[in-house]
Formats: sequence, structure tokens, C-alpha cells
Amino acid sequence: MSVLGVPILEGLYPSTMDLYPLEAKEFNRIHQFYENLRQKRFTTTKCKKCGSEPFPPRVVCPKCNSDDLEWVDLPTEGKVLRFTEEVAGVPLGFEAPLIHALVDLGGGRKLISRVVNCKEGQLKEGDTVKLAVFDIPPMIIEKKGVMAEAERVFFAFEPVK
Amino acid sequence: MPDRNVCIIGGGMSKWGVREASIVDMTQEAAKDCFDDVPALKKEDVDGLLFASSHCGRRSFQVNAAPVMAERIGIKPTSMCTRVDTLCAGGSSGIILATGLIKAGMADIVMIAGGEKLYTPQRWETYYSELASIDHDWDGAQGIGLPPPFFSMTAQEHMKRYGTTKEQLSAVSVKNRRNGATNPKGHFQKAVTMEEVMAARPIAPPLGLFDCTPVTDGCAAVLLTHEDKAKELSDRPLVYIRGTAQATLHSMSMNWPGEHLADWLHLRTAAKRAYERARVGPGDIDVAQTHDCFTISEIIEMEDLGFCKKGEGGHFVESGQSDFGGKVPVNTDGGLLSCGHPFGATGIRQAREMLHQLQGRAIKQVEGAKIGLTHNLSGLNVEHTILIYGREP
Repeated sequence: MSVLGVPILEGLYPSTMDLYPLEAKEFNRIHQFYENLRQKRFTTTKCKKCGSEPFPPRVVCPKCNSDDLEWVDLPTEGKVLRFTEEVAGVPLGFEAPLIHALVDLGGGRKLISRVVNCKEGQLKEGDTVKLAVFDIPPMIIEKKGVMAEAERVFFAFEPVK
Repeated sequence: MPDRNVCIIGGGMSKWGVREASIVDMTQEAAKDCFDDVPALKKEDVDGLLFASSHCGRRSFQVNAAPVMAERIGIKPTSMCTRVDTLCAGGSSGIILATGLIKAGMADIVMIAGGEKLYTPQRWETYYSELASIDHDWDGAQGIGLPPPFFSMTAQEHMKRYGTTKEQLSAVSVKNRRNGATNPKGHFQKAVTMEEVMAARPIAPPLGLFDCTPVTDGCAAVLLTHEDKAKELSDRPLVYIRGTAQATLHSMSMNWPGEHLADWLHLRTAAKRAYERARVGPGDIDVAQTHDCFTISEIIEMEDLGFCKKGEGGHFVESGQSDFGGKVPVNTDGGLLSCGHPFGATGIRQAREMLHQLQGRAIKQVEGAKIGLTHNLSGLNVEHTILIYGREP
């Protein structure tokens, strides 16, 4: 696979152009989040000392600085508060209409997520959406001159039929 | 310990738009325009450079850009030479930092330059690179890199909660494009009508083409120094930096600090501090340049900067209160909607316009303006930055 204008990049993986996180354990201390995602679990880290449960997951508690953390589950269903269907200027890697929703997961947690498996005009405020986990292209890690593929998943939400 | 009053003494801009030029070219154009504005200043007397750019690292493949720019501009900084990156607020961050350095006696004459070359040879990379502008692993990977979806939801929230109308959103665009029509440096020199804005092609409804700032290449530069040096270098009225603030309360969408998307707590937090530091209130502001990346942004800014009550921003704009002759003219040079938004340059462009307004030499002058405010929101609305300028220290 050649790269136009930059032939020296032929067959190489430019990770700085990768829109997804470098999830592999060799590059990421919260790789467990993605391992949990693979099991259809939406998780974050809870501080064993002060109990705080920030999202996204951390390696150090932002409240009390403890590094004694454990993985806990977050809700995988939520309610659509607002949503938007972007019809122009969608970045490469996504298709128009690119649908996003402000999702209320309860307990004061709201996040903006992509909504997949959903047609334009289908979503309504108040709808329930659930976690959707899907495969994304593997990242490439060079180990002693050998290119290894590290499988990856990512998440969005989708309408509950 | 020195505690010197700090003045802005000159400003310049490259032409902004879709430019057949590199970021290095445009930085030279902006610096030349700035030096031409202060003829008594010798280049060798500039002892500091702060270069505000985010995407030079990505789209121009140039990190550590400050020494490159210093060399091309033809200055040899001895107190400070560094790059500043807070995306849309980079220029304002540079001005705040330079103010601190000069106030403390650590620098004497500092140039703050900055800007972006956002258009890449293939257009996909222009948009794709935006995934680096926000919390990459969480919001970027959700495809929220380009901001219209986020501000579409913000607009819907404001409309549902306060009854704001699409006409009121459009009024922001009509005003700012009218103000920018006579600004030769901006991206557009063409006013638009209410009908054109209302009928424009949708981007992320309710936001249409004219509700969004365009993608723009460009650079800008200003010069700051202490009061004594400012008097020495220019006979123009002195313009002081009176108060500043920059507030960050979160980095990604899950941790939004307000009650809802149209409630900008971090803006109110920054405004409170900036007003206190400047010893003024919102009623004292004669002219303002606020961050109109989207029409809805300017409406919420009117509220959370304290120019009107919460929920009344749409009416405030529609009734002409943010236009010439109103309570506080806003975005007198066209703002982001008309000038465009090469991130690191925007705060510098606002500072230059404020310098012109307070010295009585703006293209569209607010008569007798003595106190002015500039504001940026940056990233996916994660940070708010405010500077207050005045004719008195």
C-alpha cells in the first residue's frame, strides 16, 4: 500500500494519523478499559481510598492522588437528551449523516457519543440508547523489527429496538 | 520588585483567507504589518517572542516553531522565545503571558505572533486534523472533532430552554458580516442578508453555512511593552492591559461543567476574575470582541459575560444591543464569522482591533471607546479566556 507523495511510508503505520486511541498495553496503562469493552462492559476506574469514580479512567485519582484504583461498571443504557445529525463537513472515517447524542446515563453522568445503526430522522429525544461495541482497524506495533497487529474495539451507542 | 503597567503599542495582520502561502510566509507578513505600525521601534529592541499556533505541529510539520519564526521575522529574542498552544485562545494566552513577563520586569518589548495554515494540499487532511483539536482518545474517536455537532446541540438547548429563534441566530451573522465587509484583512468582505443566512445550506441543523466560521489561513502579530517604553515609542493614546483570566473546568464532553450545554459556567468563572482584576463590571465595557465561532456562541457569551440576563441573548442581538449605537458593539471588525479563524491568530486579531478602537482609529469606530473586552472559547468549549483593555491602567 503506497502513500502518495511520501513513498518512504509504503507499508508503514503512521500512528499520528490514527483517529482511534493507541489502546494496546504497550502504549496505554488503561488498556483494561478496552478489554472490558470487548466483553460489552462500559467501565471506569474507582478510587479505593476516596471512592471517586471519574470518567475517563485514570491511573491516579484526580481527587486524592491515590493510585490504588479498581475497575467498576457504568450503565450501558441511557436516554437521549439532545441529538444532532451532521450533514456536511464530516471527517474522513465517518459517514454523513454523522449522528451524535447527549446521553444521560443517570447518576449525573452525561456524555456525547456517536449513535450508530441509526437512520437519519429515526432518533427522537427521550429515546433509550445502549452501548454498541465494534471492531476498528488493528494498530501496528513493531517488536524487534517484526510488525505485529494489536486488535482493537471502540464504542458508540445505538437505538434500543 | 517591578510592577509595571503593560501597554499594547502596535498590531498587524497578514491577509486572511484561503491563502497561497505557508505559515512561515504569513507570519512574516503579519510581523511586517505590525512593525510598520510602530515606526519608531527598532527590531533589535524586541527581546521576546511568543508564537501562538496549534496546528503548525500537525499541518505544517513544524514543532518548536518559535525559533523558526524569530529567525524569519528577523528578531533575536533574549528574554523569551517560545510557542503557545491553547488552540482558539493561543493568541490571547500569548498576550497574557507576555503581560506577566513585562509586568514582572522579565521582558521589556515582546512580540506576540501566531496563526495557522489550515488548508492542506488535499482537503481531507484539513478536516481530519481537527480530530487532534479535542480530547483525542475520547471525543475525537467519536468523530466530534469538527465542532458543528456540539454547537448544534448547544443551539437546540438554548432554543428549547429560552425560546431563542433561528432569526436571532441569523442576526449575529448578518451583523458580523456587515461589520467585516469593510475590513480588508478578513476572509470575507461581503455582507449577507437575513434571507441568505436563513436559507443557507444546513451544516448541522439548526446551524447553516453562515452560522459557522469558515476554515481560514492567516497570521497576526501585536507588540507589548511597559508604560514608559510605550510613551517613548508612540504619540498615540496609551492602551493598557487591565485584567485577564483563563478558566478551564473540564476537557471532554462527559465532564461538561454547566447545568446544561447552554450554561457556560467556565465563561462566568473567567469573566468574574477578569472584571475583578480590571476593576470594572460588564456595564463599563464600551466595545467587545467575543468568540463568534458559531452564531449561538455570541448569544450565550452576551449572557455569561453579563451584558444581558441569562436567556435574553437572542433578543439582545436581535434588538441591536450588540451593534453600533447599542449597549455594547460586539465584533466590530467582523469577528470570526467574517474574518475567519486561524486559531492561534484570533486572539491577536482581537487585540489589534481593540488597540484601534481604544486609540480611535478603527475602520468602524465606536465613538469614545475607553474600555474594551476580548474573549475566546477554545477547544470543544473547554476553556474561556478574557482580556480587558483600557485607556487608563
